[in-house]
Amino acid sequence: MEKRLIAGLEINKISLKALLFNKTMLIAWIFLGFAVAGIVEVLHERYFLITANAWDAAAHPGSREVAEAMKAAVFGEGGEVKREAPWTLYIVNYMYMLYSGSGIIFVVSLSELLGIEMIKKTAAGFITLGLAMILAGLFTISSDLNLLHIKSLFFSTNTKAAMWLMLPLYFVYIPLILLELYLLLTKKIAFARKVALPVLLLSVLAELAEYYIQSSLFSMNEARHLWTTYPLITLYFLISSVAVSAALMILYSFLVNRKQMPDTEFRPLIRFLKKIALYCVVILGAYEATAYLFVDKKWAQIILFGDFRWYFLTYLTFAIGLPFVLLYRELGKYPLKILAAVSIIIGSYLGRLIFVYGANAYPMSDRFGVGFEKYGEYEPIQHMIFHMPSDGEIFISLGSIGVILAVYALVDMFFNVSKARGKERISVQNYALDCLMSKLK
Amino acid sequence: MNFAMALEYQNCIDCKACEVACKEQNGVQLGADKQRIWVSQSEKSVFGQPFVALHPSQCNHCLDAPCVDVCPTGASHFAEGGLVFTDKETCILCKGCMEACPYDARFVDDKHVAVDKCTFCYDTRIVHGETTTACQATCPTKVRLFGDLDDEDSDLVQLLKQRKFYVLKEAEGTVPKLFYLLPENDDYFAMNSVSTDTTIHTWDTFKPLIEKAKAKRKPQWKSV
Repeated sequence: MEKRLIAGLEINKISLKALLFNKTMLIAWIFLGFAVAGIVEVLHERYFLITANAWDAAAHPGSREVAEAMKAAVFGEGGEVKREAPWTLYIVNYMYMLYSGSGIIFVVSLSELLGIEMIKKTAAGFITLGLAMILAGLFTISSDLNLLHIKSLFFSTNTKAAMWLMLPLYFVYIPLILLELYLLLTKKIAFARKVALPVLLLSVLAELAEYYIQSSLFSMNEARHLWTTYPLITLYFLISSVAVSAALMILYSFLVNRKQMPDTEFRPLIRFLKKIALYCVVILGAYEATAYLFVDKKWAQIILFGDFRWYFLTYLTFAIGLPFVLLYRELGKYPLKILAAVSIIIGSYLGRLIFVYGANAYPMSDRFGVGFEKYGEYEPIQHMIFHMPSDGEIFISLGSIGVILAVYALVDMFFNVSKARGKERISVQNYALDCLMSKLK
Repeated sequence: MNFAMALEYQNCIDCKACEVACKEQNGVQLGADKQRIWVSQSEKSVFGQPFVALHPSQCNHCLDAPCVDVCPTGASHFAEGGLVFTDKETCILCKGCMEACPYDARFVDDKHVAVDKCTFCYDTRIVHGETTTACQATCPTKVRLFGDLDDEDSDLVQLLKQRKFYVLKEAEGTVPKLFYLLPENDDYFAMNSVSTDTTIHTWDTFKPLIEKAKAKRKPQWKSV
């Protein structure tokens, strides 16, 4: 394939048709179709739904639109956001995509720092996958926010809020990831050797900062005791994310690397990823076994013994139990490892769902009491809050898979990241040793 | 100034005049879930005798409000008089404040695509010289009394000095400013209508909490 060299990067010359209509992109288009449907629905609900207040009724007597809005106020579903459960599937998907993507980059950066050859060889593909997942998470959360007011994040800031801190974080973090990817792909060997170590160190630090800020985002909500009483929440996010990241890397390796790597390289890679997944699953299991001793009893009751118990058991089975059984024994068969990886990927999503929905499940107030006013005279009384996500949310969450596939496919088409193999020139460990030796001399 | 409200909640007859007045006065979006103030019903029983406790409620305008801390744009902020306001123009609808509020006092105003909540009618009545909120003015049984905690001679402080009261979810440490007055002459009924872990306060026991929280947060109060 014809290539062009720009800033030390070999970029494939490719036609627009080949870029947008290859095998991966076709699957991506299907999911992106869901994203578009979701965005249309959300925009309609948010900006084009007719609403009214008491002043409208006085100002426009006899107006058909006001009458429709009043009808919707009485018989409608009460708007896009429910006051008892403000954070829903958007946040679940955002957490999952962002933490898992960051987890992949954390594993790769740390492995590179430690000089683990088998990860270095496939680092470019993994980092692209991680970046694509982070962008999918950001796509999800940007669909949730009111973008018409988003400039306030820049011009009217509360620098102490964890949610605002994510803004400067991503302005540093995403360029760092891009720089890391650049160093893996560039032909400028001397430059890459010079900056690789600080970039990787900064990247790992940014990862840790991210998990800390994300945990603050939840633990600052004083009233939601599931989040405030979850012990060592930063560690929980880190471990659970690395577990699912390792699972994603196993699945990715089977789909992408298997055909391109000799068996002598592929086997150790899978064995290494399997070990990471197994250790994380064990730590996560130990964590889940003890965490609910510390969680507020009202929330622990709902999750362990209340309406969430089947979700929680399914989460434990898929994210921890089944993968542990499949990965603990060296059965030597790839399908079982794939099964374990898929199990972790599904189970962890359920874990995030329980984390977000669970915190909202315990009623903050008896706003309308427990009587007929809240549930209607003929409906059974419920004590737990649970609202199904809207179609728009579900479509956007599905659409985020399209974002992952599209970003990955586009980067891969231009830079061949799935075929890129780490070269000696960016061996960070060697560079670090060189630096150390020269200083010692 | 430090605005607050006392509620003679046992007087409430659930006529919902306050809810209607609030919507009318402040142009609140129509809809059962879109309310700045509400009356909650708790169905309870004492030794098999059922009764319904009516709790009129709204934003507690907490002196140490967690909703202000989590807001990334400062849309949720302290205003003069220790009020908690939301600026609809800078609200990005992250809904963090709704998660942080222990009282479910916030909701999304779909008309402005921003979070909305009670303002104690500061912008629609108090700045125009009124001395009562719309809910207080319309209440037929005189449930609410709005006033200034800094004015020792105000009706509100005088009332709090005479009566015992409690606040909602005191353990959250938010120092709320809705004071629920216990019935004067029926201690038995009064004690049964609140939770066993609810602390009953007098003005002397609660005033230090107010002063401490005010000292901490007053530098953040913005003029309206």
